[in-house]
Amino acid sequence: MALFILRRLGVMVLTALCMTLIVFALTNLPPNLEKLAKTQAGTRITDDEVHSWLERNGYSAPILRRYGEWLGVVPASVATDAAGNVVGGRCLRGVRSTSIERVPRYCGVLQGEWGYSTKFRVPVSDLVTERLARTGVLMFWAFATMVPLALIFGVLAGMREGSVTDRTLSTISIASTSTPEYVSGVVFVVVFASSAVGLKWFTGSAKSAVNGITFENFTLPVATIALYGMGYIARMTRASMAEVMTAQYIRTARLKGVKFRDIVLRHALRNALIAPFTIVMLQFPWLLTGVVIVEALFVYPGFGDALVQGAQNNDIDLLLAVSVVAVVVVLVTQLISDIGYALLNPRIRVS
Amino acid sequence: MKTHIHPAARMYAREVTKGQMSRREFLGRATALGVSASAAYGLIGTSFPARAQPVPRMGGTLRIQMNCLELKDPRIYDWSEMSAVSRGVIEYLVEVQRDGTLRPMLLESWAANDDATEYTLNVRRGVNWNDGTPFTAEDVAANIIGWCDESVEGNSMAARMASLISDGQAAEGTVEIVDSHTVKVKPRTPDGTLMFGMADYPAAIVPKDRIGEALTDHGIGTGAYMIEELKVGERIVMVKNPDHTYWGEAWLDRVEFLDYGTDPSAWLAGADADEFDMTFEMVSDFIDIFTSIGWVESEVGTSVTVVIRPNREAEVNGIRPYADVRVRRALALAVDNAVPLELGISGRGQQSNNNYHVAPGVHPDHAEIAPHEKNVEEARRLMNEAGMMEFEHELVSIDDDYRKNTTDAVAAQLRDAGFKVKRTVMPGSTFWNDWTKYPFSSTNWNHRETGIQTLNLAYRSTAAWNETGFRSAEFDALLDQATAIADSETRKAIMARLEQMMVDEGIAIIPYFRSLYRHYKPGLVGAQMHPKFEINIHHLGWA
Repeated sequence: MALFILRRLGVMVLTALCMTLIVFALTNLPPNLEKLAKTQAGTRITDDEVHSWLERNGYSAPILRRYGEWLGVVPASVATDAAGNVVGGRCLRGVRSTSIERVPRYCGVLQGEWGYSTKFRVPVSDLVTERLARTGVLMFWAFATMVPLALIFGVLAGMREGSVTDRTLSTISIASTSTPEYVSGVVFVVVFASSAVGLKWFTGSAKSAVNGITFENFTLPVATIALYGMGYIARMTRASMAEVMTAQYIRTARLKGVKFRDIVLRHALRNALIAPFTIVMLQFPWLLTGVVIVEALFVYPGFGDALVQGAQNNDIDLLLAVSVVAVVVVLVTQLISDIGYALLNPRIRVS
Repeated sequence: MKTHIHPAARMYAREVTKGQMSRREFLGRATALGVSASAAYGLIGTSFPARAQPVPRMGGTLRIQMNCLELKDPRIYDWSEMSAVSRGVIEYLVEVQRDGTLRPMLLESWAANDDATEYTLNVRRGVNWNDGTPFTAEDVAANIIGWCDESVEGNSMAARMASLISDGQAAEGTVEIVDSHTVKVKPRTPDGTLMFGMADYPAAIVPKDRIGEALTDHGIGTGAYMIEELKVGERIVMVKNPDHTYWGEAWLDRVEFLDYGTDPSAWLAGADADEFDMTFEMVSDFIDIFTSIGWVESEVGTSVTVVIRPNREAEVNGIRPYADVRVRRALALAVDNAVPLELGISGRGQQSNNNYHVAPGVHPDHAEIAPHEKNVEEARRLMNEAGMMEFEHELVSIDDDYRKNTTDAVAAQLRDAGFKVKRTVMPGSTFWNDWTKYPFSSTNWNHRETGIQTLNLAYRSTAAWNETGFRSAEFDALLDQATAIADSETRKAIMARLEQMMVDEGIAIIPYFRSLYRHYKPGLVGAQMHPKFEINIHHLGWA
């Protein structure tokens, strides 16, 4: 077991390395660096000014060398002016003028420095922590709504295949999962939050949720995410439940005269939940990036918003940190799902 | 104390009474010479308009929807959103008001000599920095010298202070401290637009030893507010500084700037949720929607425009298609400027008089010349004569709503005239690389207070933003004359010649001048839209 986890962690580090290298290469293509310089020093600066800005701020060294600086295995270069005063460089981003002795030689991930966000003007680690926490709150409520609802729908539908309950719930599930978030979100805002319809039960902007979530400001974003994910999980649960209900041991139990209620709760449910468990775990990485649309729609400054802003402004360090987080989340949820699978299903061993 | 009134101002006043100059033009010109707005109104025999709006009450919180950007060295500000925040702390020497007049802020008054080669700036007395030290002429002089420093990447103040600069720095003797509260500025060539430059948003006054730093590095200014919180892309909170006695008046206790991104539907959701009280700007169809939900609509005419211009120096397949004046004229003649106004910006603006870059009714130095008329026959004749009927014009624009639609409307009319046009639409991230070099493209231009400023910025042979490839010694000489103060009739005659030259040379298609809009809740005072988007939180308050 320990070996298994250790091996998985190894894979994780390797994946993160490959991933960041790709992101690093893409964000450091010359046109992207030019874009960075222009967003930082002014939209209409000349080519010469772009060049000197990149030079001065430590973006002109060869790409692998700078990747090494980001990792913290290569000392970061520091640009100095003719008089020997430091003017810029990787370790100086976001730092006010200082003397050359006080500039650290290394400032990469290995030293715990995730870099500086050129868009948000704060250290990347602060930003990512804050944004992840906000998205975490959103995800928590989305899961708290989505998973129980989906399981109930799925179990009720799969328990008696072909019944009216099954048909109704299946239709709802299919409708909800086939409505993309940008459709359901807009419909929700128009119906429940706008002056156009006039109900105004909730707010169509979750901006104020940053200062504290309330029923008004958080219902619509949570509902939008939950609705989309729910149908999918419900369908999987239904399929798995329906299959279990036809199994030999269920028939035996019925013939023995066990109450239908007990058959479902004691015998069918545990086995039927194995497949949905994996699906639920897979929803985590999907949600982390899937919230991009919901966060943009409801103006909620979370992780998805940071990703979009980072991409728009070619915020290199931020994008790298975001991809590391994505890799970690995907692989950790996979690990949990594998271990959980083994616990739920004794026939499978983790090795 | 008897105030000296600039002789040119008296001369202008006589011209107003004779009907040779408009009231608006007079007010702009006279206040630029240091005549106070009330004195200027007095010169033309009308009284200073009483404040139409009520005086706000003390206190309250205001929430403004606006992009929250980081603050940099004010000289390199490239968005007026930055100044809307910092203006609460670091103020300006003078301020342009909605009607085009200048109002003194950190100056008590100013005066120019008769040929605009010497300005006397009287620094306001009794003003302190919020760290307790007094604000003096030394601070003013240091800031002006800082504005002239061309070695700072992206310092756009240098262009506005061009008449003070030699060798990339403020020239020797152009800025002189007379006493603790008087500064003399001596442009090397006559410059009637200098004070307008000092009112522009990168001209914020910082302490003399803080030049080159961002406000967030030190927080020292003369304004009544301080930054409580600044989160880029999220929100910025300003509160009244409790340890500072402000020289003027400030009403609100707290101002929050909230970032809702660039999508107006998100702004609407925020307004519906009652999350803010005022927008930075309102655009497109949302103008009517915001008005319909009961917000106050404020409109202001500006010289903001889209210039659809050929570049006569650009080469296409080895030839310079737009070096021929007949081709350029043909393009302009094929277009009815009312169409881009309607299709590009839904009529939210005014049609230009003719294809020159001076806005009638907005720029005080606009001179009336013959209006533009669409003439397809003449256009075809000229194009045929030039032998360019078969040439395919590639018309480039940025990918957005109004600029793309405006350019499309022009392209469609060119096709109707029988010219071959290919449209290329580029994303904003790549469009601005080398935007001056496209053979034929559209560019949006922001508002400037006077027509002469725009002409100097975009059509002078040596201008950095010259995108038309138009380089004429005659035009430059006329610009020099118009930039210096001259008798109104003569100057108008020069402006008319400059405008006519732009038309005859077929420099560009300039179809309209946009109006800008802003919405705010009823009961908010001082929030009207400003031609340069300016927000001064000192002036805002609740009735």
